[in-house]
Amino acid sequence: MSSVEQNATVIARVTGNVPRSQRFANSVRRWWPYYVMLAPGLLFFLVWHYFPIWEAKMAFEQVRIIPPNLWVGLKHFQTLFASPVFYQVLANTLIISTLKILFVFPVPIIVALLLNEVRSGRLRKFVQSAIYLPHFLSWVVIAGVFIAILSPSDGAVNQITGFFGAKPVAFMTDGNSSRWVLVFSEIWRSAGWDSLLYLAAIIGIDQSLYEAAELDGANRWQKVWHVTIPGIVPTIATLFILNMGMFLSADLNQVINFLNDVNRGQIDILDTYVYRIGLRTGEYSLATAAGLFKAVFGMILILSAHFVSKRLTGKGVW
Amino acid sequence: MAAPRGTAIRRTPLERIEYAIIVTTLLAMVVVMLQPILNLLAVSFSDPSRVAGKSGLDIWPSGFSLDVWMLLLQHPNVQRGILNSIFITATATFIGVVGTALMAWGLSRPNLPGRRVIFLLVLVTIVFEPGIIPDYFLMKRMGLLDSYWSVILYKAVNAWYLIILVRFFEEIPEELLEAAELDGANAFQIFFQVVLPLAKPALATIALFYLVFHWNEFFRAMIYLNDQTKYPLQVVLRQFVVEGDKLAIVGADNAANNIGVAQINLKALKAGMIIITILPILAIYPLILKFFTKGTMSGALKG
Repeated sequence: MSSVEQNATVIARVTGNVPRSQRFANSVRRWWPYYVMLAPGLLFFLVWHYFPIWEAKMAFEQVRIIPPNLWVGLKHFQTLFASPVFYQVLANTLIISTLKILFVFPVPIIVALLLNEVRSGRLRKFVQSAIYLPHFLSWVVIAGVFIAILSPSDGAVNQITGFFGAKPVAFMTDGNSSRWVLVFSEIWRSAGWDSLLYLAAIIGIDQSLYEAAELDGANRWQKVWHVTIPGIVPTIATLFILNMGMFLSADLNQVINFLNDVNRGQIDILDTYVYRIGLRTGEYSLATAAGLFKAVFGMILILSAHFVSKRLTGKGVW
Repeated sequence: MAAPRGTAIRRTPLERIEYAIIVTTLLAMVVVMLQPILNLLAVSFSDPSRVAGKSGLDIWPSGFSLDVWMLLLQHPNVQRGILNSIFITATATFIGVVGTALMAWGLSRPNLPGRRVIFLLVLVTIVFEPGIIPDYFLMKRMGLLDSYWSVILYKAVNAWYLIILVRFFEEIPEELLEAAELDGANAFQIFFQVVLPLAKPALATIALFYLVFHWNEFFRAMIYLNDQTKYPLQVVLRQFVVEGDKLAIVGADNAANNIGVAQINLKALKAGMIIITILPILAIYPLILKFFTKGTMSGALKG
């Protein structure tokens, strides 16, 4: 190698103008350990999240006992959109999600505002420790708890309403109340824990704003209204939009534990419908088509939620 | 906002009443959250013959008896359920934490070539989920149906927890890593000797997330496992309490002849099963409060 060429290589290395192949070799030498560490996790994502996307092509096929399956295009989607059951479960899903947004969503905000007023740190800690607990119980357990609470013979709720002279109601099997059972069990599970996010936002509010309000003679409610609530509006907005992104879900894990033959008309949602026709009745393709319908519209919702949230509050879904 | 203690703030009677209302509301909430669980606990320790008609408002056992607990803990279905749950939860949590930590570390390096692409691959999985039927057929194709591994490996690395850990690793000061590099440590040594010790609280948080998630998981176990002897506790509980399938615990012979188990009040058995299932959560609850609260407060939205 002539000295001129040698100089060129040195210069190239310094200026970063290294030949492509060499740059690649350097890169590999520098980064291979990181790729080795990444690999198992990445493999999991590819297998458990990307293979199913491939499997979902079943929605466009006639499943045959002896492969290969037959390509039938949009036939299953046509069947789906012509089926009255589909519109019923879609309506149930939308109604349940709406009820949850209206009646579940505001509760943790109120809880956080109340908690924030508690002056004794010990009392606040005690309340928090108690009301966070239900969040960590499975929906099977919560359904079990609600079956007990709502029992028409000796459940706590009917004991209380009975004290005021009301007749016992079998809430779990009463079609009229089953949506409300979903709402209340969701409140029971998440009202405490979800308040934590708002409490975190409240703690982040600039203390001097409260001092200024006090100097102006503001009372408790005026401080809450003019300082605390404006301070947590971004958090409220983010969580609201996030909830909207999950609008088509309505929580399979919850509903499947409250669903029975009596209340099916009220609380059968898209996910439980997919589960039933797919894994119980064996209409795989139709179920996959219904699942894909939910996946595609769910994706549109989440993406919209993400970009709207990013624009409004600077915080996205991820 | 809480006033600093020691400063004398004069409160009007109205303010005192307001405060009393606020505290009462919160205490009422505590009662609503805890009373149902205390009631089930009381029922499970009551004398089985006195359980029928026992008010749901009671939080004290009627009489005292360990019959329900002895019976449940000696019951083969419950014992197997407990062992299955422990095995699945422990294995899945271990795999989850290791996989998530390693992957998060790689993804947290800002200059890693391909970082954006891999991130995108992960984000797509949050946004688009093709549903339970394709998942089921993947399990079938891989021959994992009816195997513990179907439940253990299903989405073993959680995208949300991964993002939380990546955020945490990104905060580690660059100088620390450079110093280790100058000392001649290679990438693996840096990870295991510098990064992991720093990340202990974050890893504990993630481990608890996985632990709670896997202990409480029932749906996948329900659809992937056919063999009843492989059912985790949640599925046994679901059969017995939610689906009201007496035979899950009582057994066909006993039910038919009304002997042994069947004589014990079903309500008491159900209460006992629920308490057994939440016992591990109660046992680690102090840890949960410590780590979850911090993990969630520090900006992670999902928990």
